[in-house]
Formats: sequence, structure tokens, C-alpha cells
Amino acid sequence: MKPDALAAEIVIIGAGPAGMAAAVRLASAGRRPVVFDMNATPGGQIYRQLSAPQVSDTVMGKDYMRGRELIEAFTHADIDYRPGSRVWWADNNTSGTTLGVLEKGQTQHWQARQLILAGGAMERGWPFRGWQLPGVMNAGAAQILLKQGALIPSSPPVLAGSGPLLYLLAWQYLRAGTPPSLILDVAPAKRYGEVIRQSRRAWFGRSYLLKGARMIAALRRAGVPIHQGITALEAYGDEAVESIRYHHRGQWKTHSTELLLTHFGVTPEPQLARSLGLEHVWHASQQSFVPQRDDSLAAGTNVWIAGDGGGIGGAINAEREGQLAALAVLGKIGEVDPAWQQEMPALLKARRRDLEARSLLESLFRLPEDWLDGQPEDTLVCRCESVSRGELDLAIAQGGAGPNQLKAFTRCGMGPCQGRQCGESVTRLLAQRLDWTPEAVGYYHIRPPVHSITLGELATKE
Amino acid sequence: MFKRLDASSTSVRHVQIWLDGEPHSVPDTLTVAAAVLQLRGWQGYRRHVDGSPRAPLCMMGACQECLITIDGRANRQGCLEPVVEGMRIERQGGGSHEA
Repeated sequence: MKPDALAAEIVIIGAGPAGMAAAVRLASAGRRPVVFDMNATPGGQIYRQLSAPQVSDTVMGKDYMRGRELIEAFTHADIDYRPGSRVWWADNNTSGTTLGVLEKGQTQHWQARQLILAGGAMERGWPFRGWQLPGVMNAGAAQILLKQGALIPSSPPVLAGSGPLLYLLAWQYLRAGTPPSLILDVAPAKRYGEVIRQSRRAWFGRSYLLKGARMIAALRRAGVPIHQGITALEAYGDEAVESIRYHHRGQWKTHSTELLLTHFGVTPEPQLARSLGLEHVWHASQQSFVPQRDDSLAAGTNVWIAGDGGGIGGAINAEREGQLAALAVLGKIGEVDPAWQQEMPALLKARRRDLEARSLLESLFRLPEDWLDGQPEDTLVCRCESVSRGELDLAIAQGGAGPNQLKAFTRCGMGPCQGRQCGESVTRLLAQRLDWTPEAVGYYHIRPPVHSITLGELATKE
Repeated sequence: MFKRLDASSTSVRHVQIWLDGEPHSVPDTLTVAAAVLQLRGWQGYRRHVDGSPRAPLCMMGACQECLITIDGRANRQGCLEPVVEGMRIERQGGGSHEA
């Protein structure tokens, strides 16, 4: 422990649904957790700006407004909430976790006896030709602009990829009066039928299916063309996107647009869990690495992971996991109330059901694992260091047999995003080429700092 | 470009910022990257170390494509910094991402 470290009994990293729910729960038990969050207001990405909404609920939909109650509870509880702070370093030892935190341009060291990671998810980096061009953005990024400042595209965008967010954003744009000019869905049309026939899962996931069907119907009624089962996507332009090309029903088609919003699912934000050296396993259905957790959501000694950072379960599940993690922490520090213990089984049961329903979405929006194989050689995989698929293949041919070797050979993953955008693509490519499992291939070694920090900030201590 | 939804009735406070030397009034809920996307769009946002044009991808602190100079400090993550009164923002037309 650093001699000048600030001490905290419980630290929560992230103020999205999981972090807020954990904090509220702990506060109601008389504890005062410290909550670090990168953003200026609570809510995470899903409930961003909900403390002062910029857009009406007729545009945003009910699922956004649902978070209001939790934000209210979080705002009024006695919590040491520190917005605009970044945890850039974490080291786990027997007495807890030491954290390096950057807040208001200053570095602080904290010693946390118990740590709940609630860092949430990020949109999956999914390489295709031209994805580094200005005018190609994540659909989630465009939705952040909508929440943050009621910002909508000034001309109709193309939405492409896979996953519920694609249709949600299209529907929100429709409600805002600027529907997309085209929706390109990687999931083939026949998959919808296949998934609905899995009756048990379809029943658990019926609310997802119904919501999706309603949004798609509204978009079709408005005349938005939806092409399902596209097998390739490319963006073209000099200084920014001018047109896109896509492969559908055996044919290449072009479409002029200045904005392409893509979504290829979400994955747990990996950096802190990775830099703590927590065990990760490949989640075949979520097509992503997830940190290994037990039933109490513990992922290490005095470390719990709640919400999408532990595997994608959505906002309601994240809230529930936040409560579960809080109860587990209370149990650990000897605060046991019989009433809470009775709540646990119900929370766990609801969680199991939710995750089962979720697996329906995972099959519905499953991405082709061999996508990168089909990309042109010059497709960038690592955007930061501009490393292409062809360069990676060359390095593999020359004996590069793991993500860290490829990093050393090509600088792939060595740039400022620290592999967040390319990490799993590199694992995937190696798994395909070497015919190994993603787990056997592994992932980059992640070392601190996990956020960019300047020497000046490092030297300025509170 | 991105524009503010006309129908958004919410009253919002504005702050004055300077973008590439020009004054602009923007809602104070925006981050620097969002303000630039509203005022100038994505074209011309940033030039990457390899010379290619780049612009924000994720808006949530993960991709580092939104790097921008704020109050004289280069390579700040524009998507994580809220706009504040009097802030001076300069787009990075060239250079490297080394801080």
C-alpha cells in the first residue's frame, strides 16, 4: 500500500446501472462507497444524461426513461460519488486493491478494501474496409450524441451491422423525423424464424422479440429499406465517407451516403479486469472473452464484477447484478441481515432467466466468426497503428503465434486505445489461422496505465 | 454534420467556447467531441499519425479517435471532456499521438 493512499472500505468503478444499484444498496445498509466514473453525470451509456434529459421520451422510448428512478435514488443516497474521474491503474493484493485515479487533472492513490468493477461494455471493434474513415461511427456513439445534446444527423444515415441497438437507433431517428436511408443487417432473414422456433428461449425472450418486431414494422411502414443477410460492407471516400458498398443476395450494391453508423454488438470493457490479471474465459455465445466470476459475482480476492463488464446481460440485469454484488460485499464484511439473504435466491433466479432470454438475442444477432477472413488484405485491424489484416497474416506466416508476438512484430494493439478496438479481432484471426480455440490463443497482456495519462498528470498529486 | 433536434423542448444552458479561434455558443451538456461534431461535422476533425483523416468512432472513451487540443494541451480525449465556459479547442490537423 502506498503510504499516502486514501483509504476506502468499498470502491465501485462505474456509475451505470450496475454501479449505481450497488452503491444505492450499500448506502441503504449504512455504508458509504466511493464511486469513480469517467462521465460528468451518472447513468453510464444506457442512461446517459437522464438526470437532465435532452430528448423527449416519445423519441427515446420507455427503456431509457426507466432508469430515472435509479438515478434519483443514486443522487439522493449518501455516496462519495466522483464524476469525471478515471481509474488508470489497479493492483490487487491480500489487503485489497490499490488504485491510481485521475481526478480534475490530479493523480490520487486509493486503497480499496473491497472493489466492485462496474465498468460496463463497449461496442465491439469489427474491421471492414474503410471503417477508419470520418463519417463511419458506431451506432452507440450516435446514440450518445442524441442523449447528450439531442443531436441527430443532418442528412439520413445508413445503419449497418447486427444487434438490437441498430433497430433501436433507427426507430429513435424515425421518431425524431430523420429516418435512415437504408438498414443493412448482417443477420439473415431466415434466422429470425429459426430462433422463434426455440420455444423455451423464445418465451423467456418474448419481450425482446416483440419490441424488435414492433420497431422493424414501424421502420418498414415508414418506407425504410431493410436488407437482411448482408455478407460484406465497405466504405469509400477521400477525406470522409462518400459511398458504401455491400454484398447482398450474391450481388454488390453501392449507395451514396456521408454517414455510416455501424453496430456489431457489445463486449465487456476489458482493461481493468485484464490489468488486474483476473481469469478470462471465451464466451462462445456472446463471441467474446468474459472475466470468470462465481455465483456471488466474485472475480478475485475482494473483487466483484457487476453488469455488462462481466458479460453482456443488459441494463436490467446489470442493476440486479449491482444489488447482488453489494449483498456479497456486505456478507464479506460481516454485515449479514436475514432479509437480504432471503432476497438473494430471487435475484439469482431472475438473473438466470434474464440471461437465458438474452441468449436468444445472441443467436439472433450472431456475427460470422470468419468475417475478417473475407476482408480485403488492406483492411485495417488496428486503427491506432494502422496495421492491416494482410500485415497480420504475414506476421503469422513468419511465426507470430500469439497476440503479444503479433504486437511485437507489427505494433498491432500498441497504440493509444491499447487494443480495445483490435484485441479480439487479433485473437479471432489467430484462432482461425492456427486452428486453435480463442482461449488457447489468449489476449494481449494489458498493463497500466489503462487510460492515457500525461507525465504532468502523473506528477501532480493531491 | 449533426444538428440539434428542433423538437427538443428542454431548456439548456449554453457556454461560449472557442473552436479553432472562432467563438461559438453550445449547450453545456455536450462534450468537446460532440460540440465539434455539431459545429463542424466529422470532416477535418483530426489527422492521424499516418496522415489519414480520422474522426470520433465510439464517443465513450474507448477508441481514442477523438483526440483534440484543449486549452493548449494536445491529445485530450474530446469525448470525455465536457465543454466549459471560455474553453479553447483546436482540431489537430497533423502531428503524432504521442503526448
